[in-house]
Amino acid sequence: MGAYIVRRLWQMVPTMAGVIVMVFILFNWVGGDPATILAGKMSSAEQIANIRHQLGIDQPYYVQLWIFLKQIVSFDFGASWSTGESVAHILTTRIGPSLMVMLPMTILETLIAIALALGIAFLRGSLADRAVMVACTAGMSISILVYMIVFQYWFAFKWGWFPVQGWGDSVGENLFRYAPLPILIGLAVSVAPTLRLFRTFVLDEVGQDYVRTARAKGVSERRLVWVHVLRNAAIPIITYVMANLPGLLIGVFLLENFFSVPGIGREVIQAVDRSDFPVVKAATVYVAALTMIFNLLADLLYKAADPRVQLQ
Amino acid sequence: MIVSTLPQSPGLWLLAWRRLRADRLAMFSLAVVAAFLMLISLSATGLIAADWDREVGVNYAPPSFAGPDAQSTANDAAKDDTAVPENPLDPLNDVLRELRAQRGDAAASAPEDYGIVDPIGPEINQLRAQLAKEGRGTAAVRATTLPFGADKWGHDIVKKTIKGSETSIVVGLVAAFLATLIGTLLGAFAGYFGRVVDDILNWVYSVFTAVPNLLLIMAVAAVLQHKGVATIVLILALTGWTGTFRLVRAEYIKHKSREYVMAADAIGASHWRRMFVHIFPNVSHVALVQMSILSVGFIKYEVILSFLGFGVPVGVVSWGSMLNEARNELILGRWWQLTAASIAMAVLVTAFSLFTDALRDALDPKLK
Amino acid sequence: MLGLFLPLAASAEPKTLRVLFEAPDSGIDGALTVNWYSGKLTEMIFERLLTYDYMARPAKLVPGTAEAMPEVKDGGKTYIFHVRKGIYFTPDPAFKGKRRELTAADYIYSFERILDPQNRSPLLNFLAGKIVGLDALAAKAAKSGHFDYDAPVAGLKALDRYTLRIELNTPDYNFPYVMAMPSGMGAVAREAIEAYPGQTPSHPVGTGPYMLAQYVPSSKIVLVKNPDFRGLSWDFSAADGPNDAQIVKDMQGKRLPQIDRIEVSIIQEEQSRWLAFADKQLDLDFLPQLAAPKVMDGERLKPEYARAGIHLDRAIDAGITYTLFNMTDPVVGGYGKEKIALRRAIAMSYDTKQEIALIRNNQAVPSQMAIPPGVAGYDPAYRTSIPYDIDLANRLLDHFGYKRGADGWRTMPDGKPLAVSISRESAAVYTEMAELWQRGLDKIGIHSEHPVSNFQDNQAAALECKLMMWGAAWNADYPDGENFLQQLYGPNSLQGNMSCYRSPAFDALYKEAMALPPGPERYALYAKMNRQMEADTPWFVQTVRVRNWVSQPWVQGFKKHPILNAEWLYMDVVPH
Repeated sequence: MGAYIVRRLWQMVPTMAGVIVMVFILFNWVGGDPATILAGKMSSAEQIANIRHQLGIDQPYYVQLWIFLKQIVSFDFGASWSTGESVAHILTTRIGPSLMVMLPMTILETLIAIALALGIAFLRGSLADRAVMVACTAGMSISILVYMIVFQYWFAFKWGWFPVQGWGDSVGENLFRYAPLPILIGLAVSVAPTLRLFRTFVLDEVGQDYVRTARAKGVSERRLVWVHVLRNAAIPIITYVMANLPGLLIGVFLLENFFSVPGIGREVIQAVDRSDFPVVKAATVYVAALTMIFNLLADLLYKAADPRVQLQ
Repeated sequence: MIVSTLPQSPGLWLLAWRRLRADRLAMFSLAVVAAFLMLISLSATGLIAADWDREVGVNYAPPSFAGPDAQSTANDAAKDDTAVPENPLDPLNDVLRELRAQRGDAAASAPEDYGIVDPIGPEINQLRAQLAKEGRGTAAVRATTLPFGADKWGHDIVKKTIKGSETSIVVGLVAAFLATLIGTLLGAFAGYFGRVVDDILNWVYSVFTAVPNLLLIMAVAAVLQHKGVATIVLILALTGWTGTFRLVRAEYIKHKSREYVMAADAIGASHWRRMFVHIFPNVSHVALVQMSILSVGFIKYEVILSFLGFGVPVGVVSWGSMLNEARNELILGRWWQLTAASIAMAVLVTAFSLFTDALRDALDPKLK
Repeated sequence: MLGLFLPLAASAEPKTLRVLFEAPDSGIDGALTVNWYSGKLTEMIFERLLTYDYMARPAKLVPGTAEAMPEVKDGGKTYIFHVRKGIYFTPDPAFKGKRRELTAADYIYSFERILDPQNRSPLLNFLAGKIVGLDALAAKAAKSGHFDYDAPVAGLKALDRYTLRIELNTPDYNFPYVMAMPSGMGAVAREAIEAYPGQTPSHPVGTGPYMLAQYVPSSKIVLVKNPDFRGLSWDFSAADGPNDAQIVKDMQGKRLPQIDRIEVSIIQEEQSRWLAFADKQLDLDFLPQLAAPKVMDGERLKPEYARAGIHLDRAIDAGITYTLFNMTDPVVGGYGKEKIALRRAIAMSYDTKQEIALIRNNQAVPSQMAIPPGVAGYDPAYRTSIPYDIDLANRLLDHFGYKRGADGWRTMPDGKPLAVSISRESAAVYTEMAELWQRGLDKIGIHSEHPVSNFQDNQAAALECKLMMWGAAWNADYPDGENFLQQLYGPNSLQGNMSCYRSPAFDALYKEAMALPPGPERYALYAKMNRQMEADTPWFVQTVRVRNWVSQPWVQGFKKHPILNAEWLYMDVVPH
């Protein structure tokens, strides 16, 4: 196991290198020139050259790349080009709100999807199962944009159940006042596909011999479902949840933007828009690293949960 | 001599088709998808909705079943603002005067005394006189309601929805095809050749999947400089091939050591032949299902790209552009564009998804 | 008995004003950014020598930290300011426990900071080249990498502790306006800047009416009353605004600032913004364009909002929107008649009235000249000579040989293909304007493209004369038309003259105008410069935006000022 972990970590290195080079090429080559926006409304060529010099972007590429590598190793990405705030500070302060929306959403979505998946898995082929599947598919076909616009209009504005937008100061306030509507929308969008997927996992289990055997032995349906099947289906479920976490950024970003939640997704998009290179580099590198670590954890969990699995 | 023929085992596709046929929901979905495809081919050839960008309604005309707006300003044809003073510093003054005179405009108001003459003044007057002779047509009357209402410019929502369907579906299908193509080719190479090729391609795969999807999309969009529908298709294809790659690679690994491949090797088939003439047909169902899944995903993604500002260019309508416009319309009480685009998209995506599921079930031997 | 009641009154809720920014600020250091939202914050925390009369229109300069308006000598070359005594910076560890008074030397330091190459100040061009000896010092700093703040500068001298003498290279009648610029000319203390290197945007130390209490970047900012503030009295006379009488009645004589706490939220989505105000989560906002039709009945509030006590202040932005042509572009640029005719025809094809009605929901008016109302040089009787006239445009193009090809699109007179490219950003309003452009250009037979890019890239390309056409907006930095016309001045090409327009006639008029003091003679030249601009058509001026500022019934004293960024100092909130 230890050797496996080391080998996996070692394998991450070329991937990280590839990510770094790719990010660097893409944003350096094409990412827009921050010097002019920082120079103000009426700026001379000298001013712009001066700014470029200050930001270090007038150096040859290989020098910039070397600086970038040093930054990654020392976890110091300098300061945002547009606000001067330290990049590390930006990332650490924005991750909180993002997590406050993402984590409850993931937990609730997983629990709901599991419960429903187990519930309908045994109805396979029947009308109710079919109906649920069609409903899921229909729900998935509505764009998140539509959910956001409509939910905000009805639930927040017309009926006043939630605040229209915003973010508070305390964890409690955020969790129970501001986060619920974004989380609700996130659920509306993600429960359906997750349910479909979990249903597949559960079905895979239900078709196995041990289920038939257990039934023959007289195990009650409920125990069968909630203990035996769930334990086995838990493996792909957990793997899916863990591997999906970093990727949740997309849906969460849209929610952050719409509801003015000061999270990472919104920050990164603003940074790309303003050609704020340090912020984008840092965010990409960290998320890439996180993705790989989460994948590794998922694999380890998989192995721990199911000894049959051979890790290569 | 009578030779009895061995009973033929029906191929994968025939079996799948039979299973599909038996599934009524799948057939219904297929019918819906086919209907959309027919609609968009009619639209693409210009037989319907070709004039979607004509301003036939008043701005924000409500749907016919809702009745006309009390305050809709009907026929608000912008009046030509031709009564302007003359600019004595204007080199075009003579021309403009002439053109205006041709048209029959009243003489322009007295110029300020700056002592500078417009070189094109006489020409303008001449043109003006001419225009007056021809007379100017009355502005077309615009409808106060349309079947499903109008957008802010007065375009018919029904026609926009049809044209938008064409754009969105074509974007989705073409991008899905390209992404599947890329993923299949790369997956085939990786799975078949193994070793170094596999390592390199796996590395590329891991780099692409390590970078957050959104970031990758924005970066690629920035590179390609927003040149239209082709750009969106390329962006989606270049970021969406990874799923197909992994599945196809796994299939190729599974198949390459099978007997039939070794048999092909024995008869001297080249690598290329083995990969694509022998193995691919056994793997194609995976690619097909992937393409189907990707189509659905990309159609939905186009909406998000419009939200982020990387959507279709001006003058092209898609579901994404309609929903983007509709963002601010709900607050004004104009719900029809939002509803039309959402419903059209929902119906197609649902049908396509259900069909994809059924297709996968039909092709998947595990369920036999 | 009475004693029981007093503490109750003292412990009342602090008066709070909740406002919003539509986009994040860039920190609270005025010298480092021209971000409009940062400007609102720096205006409340730092103080300038001069400021504006809150109520007077057109904008009128009044003393800020200066005791009186400056003495002007040498025909506009020398300015002498006397800083008020007894103004103190808010306490900060950098002052080592001592109370720190504002002196003339602080202004010297603050201005020098703007020229310091290390600060990359976007305000550079407002002071560069103007003050005797300062540019030489800045040049030395660029070479050595370190700005010598202790070196004396001939043009910035503190005659005594509170007296500042500024000597300019050439007479500049607009210089007092520069001193009053709300966003960057406030005084900072050298110790406070040097104590927090790199962190000044989040650690502002000023003498102003408010101080920073909480700063969550891109999300929330809280300002609280500065207990050490020298105090001001609300003492202005009503001008002729519709709400002026009420404002004077509510506010006259009050000790400022009245509002104890200002909470700023950053809300980017228009729907979210509007719903937040409607939900009473915000006290003051300008109506997003999408909400205007719901709330306004033409120029008034709809009855249900008026009855609810919502206040409306309809303010015309001291800025214009316009589209610029690149005068060096091979397709649309050039000074010959046929190119002028091409640009003129393009300008004549754009339906500004439709833009205003449909895209801006009537929250704008057509702009007749390159100078908006409220800015010196604006003439309400001036009318542009460029009409919206599709017929005439077609005629003009036909006349100059832009024939239509087989595919219906026009070509250049020599037969080469003709396609116009109008750059824009990705926001919805620009998409809609691009649609409007396309429809107009279609009607005159000109093929058009509308490439999207982000603002920085577009601005960079424009500054290098690489874009063909670009839609832009300019808000007045100070209320003189020169602030707008300088962008068409030839020598400013590659520096702010993004049209790369070089017209000897225009430049001659500009130089002539700059040599005159403000007055009717000078403004007549501005009008002539507008005519020259229309004649050559480097710009096509479109609209002046109207902002409908709405405030809740419990907000008093709001009157949008064309130059001042934040009116919060002069307002009050009634308990509700």
